[in-house]
Amino acid sequence: MVNQIKFSIYRYNPDTDKKPYMQDYAISLRDEDHMLLDALIRIKEHDETLSMRKSCREGVCGSDAMNINGKNGLACITKLSDLEQPIVLRPMPGLPVIRDLVVDMTQFFENYNSVKPYLINNDPPPETERLQSPADRAKLDGLYECILCGACTTACPSFWWHPDKFVGPAGLLQANRFIMDSRDQATEERLENLEDPYRLYRCHNIMNCVEVCPKKLNPNAAIANIKDVKIARARETKIAKKSIPIKSL
Amino acid sequence: MLIQLLTNKYPGMRLWLSQRLSAIVMAIYIVLVVMLLIIFRPANFNAWHALMSPIWFRLVTFVFFVSLFIHAWLGVKDVFEDYIFNLKLRAYLQIIVDVLLVVYLIWSSFILWNI
Repeated sequence: MVNQIKFSIYRYNPDTDKKPYMQDYAISLRDEDHMLLDALIRIKEHDETLSMRKSCREGVCGSDAMNINGKNGLACITKLSDLEQPIVLRPMPGLPVIRDLVVDMTQFFENYNSVKPYLINNDPPPETERLQSPADRAKLDGLYECILCGACTTACPSFWWHPDKFVGPAGLLQANRFIMDSRDQATEERLENLEDPYRLYRCHNIMNCVEVCPKKLNPNAAIANIKDVKIARARETKIAKKSIPIKSL
Repeated sequence: MLIQLLTNKYPGMRLWLSQRLSAIVMAIYIVLVVMLLIIFRPANFNAWHALMSPIWFRLVTFVFFVSLFIHAWLGVKDVFEDYIFNLKLRAYLQIIVDVLLVVYLIWSSFILWNI
């Protein structure tokens, strides 16, 4: 069965084009083509100048994140049957375009790296592994699953306006992932690292990040949790300060 | 407790928390005023005057106005920082807002203490 689908795709080649333009495509699909990525691969069979990123084609690698009918998502797990035609595809907003649907993610990864997304533990490594209780491990659910596709961060206006100052939802989700990790010993440094008025607090809770996350994660809740941890620690500090003279007696 | 989060040591938390605390103060005040209006149902100038005259009510209203202006200052500052990229223009606009808010605060105090 031949099923034709209409597309309008953002095209830009900095070597030959003065400015970006939208190109229309009408493509015949095969029976096995169900996902948006399948259709893009069909388009590439006819027009191999179209550039995009793809790899695992099953929503794990995060390479094919793009703006699909105005909403960020992964082409490989977006069903064609769910999309209105013509399907308008653009690169993710807020990042420089390298070519067509491919964006330069340098700023995104700089922000991600700035939260030190790795375990910091200065104790000598044990012979096997650093154990966690099941309850402590459960605190990481909804945080560790991020695939760094960038859909959330590039859907966030605060990131558009302050890309070099506001860490963005993906980076803050990871910051919270290590703040919540019972094995991590750098909570205080991590909280201090997010203390300026921009890095964490530029989040205005509009929740675009929650709406677009292809893994159904909630960066907004993670951001709120970081603030809660900060307030809780301030309370603990006060209690600890009060308890010192009592202990010294 | 929360006070230390409002110091220079926490520049981001200070602004964020101030906005939330001022919002809580305003919410409590609005509930209080609505309750007073429901209970006393002031129908004329004298009844309104009697309601607004006690010192405690003036003080509470003054705290409400201070919270309102802190809240407005923080909100407008955020909007300017997000949308006005020319630093000189942003600084001028912020000064205008700052002056306006101070004038409003003086004006509202003047009204409150002349009831």
